[in-house]
Amino acid sequence: MRPARDWLRVGGLLLAGLSAGTPGPAMADDVPTPTPSLECRVPGSQLYSVASLAAAKAALEERHILRILAVGGSSAPGASASYPVKLEAALEQAMPHVDVIIDHRGLPGEIASGAAERLRSLVADVEPDLVVWQVGTHDAIARVDPTAFAEALDESVAWLKSHGIDVVLVDPLYTASVATDADYNRIVDGVRDVATREGVPLVRRFEALRYLAGRNEKGEVHILGRQFRLNDLGLRCMAEHVALTISASLARTPAPEPAKAPAGEVASPPASEPAKPPAAVVPPPPGPPDLTGPQRAPG
Amino acid sequence: MREPNAIDFWRGFALITIFINHIPGNTFERYTFSQYGISDAAELFVFLAGWSIGIATRTRDGEPEPRWRSVVRMLARTVEVYRAQITVMLLALAIIAGAALLLDNPLILEWHNAGNFFADPIQSVCGMALLTYQLGFFNILPLYVVLIGIAPVIVLIGRASRWAVLAISGALYVASLVFEWNLPSWPGDGTWFFDPFCWQLLLTLGFVLQDWNRVSPAFRRWTRRLMPLGVVIVLVGITLSVLEIRPDPLTVPEPRLLFTFEKSYLTPSRLVHFLGVLLAFSPIYALLAPRIGWIVGFLSGLGRNSLAVFSMGSLLSLIGQIIRFQTGGGLLVDTAVAGCGLVALGITAWFVEWRSRRAPRPRP
Repeated sequence: MRPARDWLRVGGLLLAGLSAGTPGPAMADDVPTPTPSLECRVPGSQLYSVASLAAAKAALEERHILRILAVGGSSAPGASASYPVKLEAALEQAMPHVDVIIDHRGLPGEIASGAAERLRSLVADVEPDLVVWQVGTHDAIARVDPTAFAEALDESVAWLKSHGIDVVLVDPLYTASVATDADYNRIVDGVRDVATREGVPLVRRFEALRYLAGRNEKGEVHILGRQFRLNDLGLRCMAEHVALTISASLARTPAPEPAKAPAGEVASPPASEPAKPPAAVVPPPPGPPDLTGPQRAPG
Repeated sequence: MREPNAIDFWRGFALITIFINHIPGNTFERYTFSQYGISDAAELFVFLAGWSIGIATRTRDGEPEPRWRSVVRMLARTVEVYRAQITVMLLALAIIAGAALLLDNPLILEWHNAGNFFADPIQSVCGMALLTYQLGFFNILPLYVVLIGIAPVIVLIGRASRWAVLAISGALYVASLVFEWNLPSWPGDGTWFFDPFCWQLLLTLGFVLQDWNRVSPAFRRWTRRLMPLGVVIVLVGITLSVLEIRPDPLTVPEPRLLFTFEKSYLTPSRLVHFLGVLLAFSPIYALLAPRIGWIVGFLSGLGRNSLAVFSMGSLLSLIGQIIRFQTGGGLLVDTAVAGCGLVALGITAWFVEWRSRRAPRPRP
């Protein structure tokens, strides 16, 4: 088990260094942040925007269990290095006393037609505290009208929030051939606008991958070319980027009141007041810091 | 070759609807009947499969054929559908991978759940053979394999007693809704998009209603009398879908599947709506057929060769999606894609019949 205090210190430092553009106070000192591996490192401002995750916070402090429904995208499910497995590992490392349970479900189809309904059924089935939703790629590929897409997404996110379920949105993947595609960019913008309007955290995967694509590096080569290498990297980094966003958002979330209001309806004031150290994350005895993430850096 | 008839006509109609609906976002999608009701073309397709089994397992004068022949006939059909699913899945994956390579766009690999295959081929190829790995939109044939596979049981019990087979099928349906029984997806979490335990009821209904329709004048009389009820149900369905009114799966009472509108489980509301559609539209064919000329022949041709047309249609709709993505869509592209698709479906049906005329062999 990785010592939480070291995580906290190292992660906090790194994050402070990386997230120059992230507004608001830095980490509250109850949720440590996982360190991204070298190959996945992206400045915080280009990687995510954080927001309060009241339901998830309540779940992990009251039950020490965080049930996550990871929706959309593929993940080589079952394979040891898959996205849900890595996400679960990264979150459990960051929160050693919390049992993180991840259900990963594919969501084929478009949010603007049908998939939103399917999401509701999945949620009713899994009953998660937090939905991590990779959204938009299908709609972008199907050339769904971006306005219709954003409306349908907004409705779905509002529905989740109305039931006290937290949401983290993950916007579509980046590749060179869509960099200047107007409709594709409008879908990406649509996801960002919905995240802002609904006040939910956003993993800005499109921006992050664009950053990684621009990084000049002499790493491994992919037999199918640059874009495929970048895509692999994007999928590999997904778990780290999502874990980072969740941890940063949880750190910003005030601890729930003892006589608490229904989760999810808590408006999110920044965690400026000193949060009481919750039992869930009492740090174990310190040990040597372990900086290596699950990935080795290329080259 | 059969003459055009209502069953083949509606089956062809369902096939075209499925083809158009499987190119999401296209202009014509909003003109399909699926957008104006709770149930859609999938229900029609499975129901008509049950109805056809009723016809196929009897001789022309209505005598049931020998049991062993029915059983072998349906097992042969099961193998045929399984073969089609494996072929179609392989080609779909190849189309997706080929498009990604050709357009230098790895995003396409993520489409329709295909990313799992490319990331984890070892488990996925096993799942493909087991039918537990399904691409989005390529999930009807696995249901069909299971349904035709269990059809011999339905037929044999149904010959002993129609009420018995309805009772058993209905009980399995209700139990599956209450206990949320479904076959698992693998690799990965989740379950089949079309739950065979629920959808088998529609196949059974098709089979039993065909039989009643054949022998019972009272049944035919009542379906005519109940037509207004069907129209009311259809109107309610249109209202609900246009106004986007549907139950919230997190607020309905338990067991929730009795109340929601879920396609996966053919929930009761979808079933009732579909039966309403049947009542309202079953008399339409007789009115329509003399007035729409070659369309009757075209749709019936598609319906007669439904497996080949469906398989080709699912691949064509995938190609259509890629064309829409690459060109940006729009009315012109959509018209070209839909038009070429319909012509190709027609050619497929013609080709299958041409081939079977040259090497005649009986088909179920």
